Amino acid sequence: MEKFFLGIGIGLCFLVLLCLYRGIFGPTVLNRLAGISAIGTKTLVILLLMGFIYDRVDMFMDISMVYAILNFIGTLAVAKYLETKGEV
Amino acid sequence: MTRATDDVIIKTVSRIFTPFIQIFALYVIMHGHHSPGGGFQGGVILGASFILLVITQGLDKTRRRFSQKLDTIFCSIGLLIYSGIGILCLILGGNYLDYSKLNKILPVIAAEARSLGILGIEIGVGIGVMAVMYSIFSDIVTGGE
Repeated sequence: MEKFFLGIGIGLCFLVLLCLYRGIFGPTVLNRLAGISAIGTKTLVILLLMGFIYDRVDMFMDISMVYAILNFIGTLAVAKYLETKGEV
Repeated sequence: MTRATDDVIIKTVSRIFTPFIQIFALYVIMHGHHSPGGGFQGGVILGASFILLVITQGLDKTRRRFSQKLDTIFCSIGLLIYSGIGILCLILGGNYLDYSKLNKILPVIAAEARSLGILGIEIGVGIGVMAVMYSIFSDIVTGGE
């Protein structure tokens, strides 16, 4: 089972690179925002998989929940900033 | 940035979501010595919940519940708890923040007094960090008026 989680984690790391490409070279601001948000979600799942591999999922659960909350608030703040500036 | 959003989904989700964020922040503060987290991290999450309220519900509505005066009071109370416990240990004959000396005034053994002292420090740091986070954010957003 550990090998299975490790394989999924490495696959998600590859997908993070694809999202990072969209975040860096995205044509508009909204593409960048969506790319960064997707990276946050993938990082959350990778953290949980690390918790399963190290057999301490109760600790990694707290970290990933904090990550999810801050990712949500951060995306909302950037969206509000763009709305205020009138770029969208 | 300071006025309320007109999107009903974001407004409703943030209104339902904020109490859960605050409960989770209190859990991080109180459970800090068994799991990742502690005073600073819990305070940051608690401050983030107020920042979420300012972003979604508007600054005026948030200030009606949590005014600037209250924010300053919380900021001072956090610092007072932290330095008060430290100086209390100094008065009781130990070093600064030497919690084991607290068993002279608490009816527990030295190890338990150390645990309780650390918990008190974490509560103080959490309150202080929450108030300072919120005040920095509201200062930046309003341009410091």
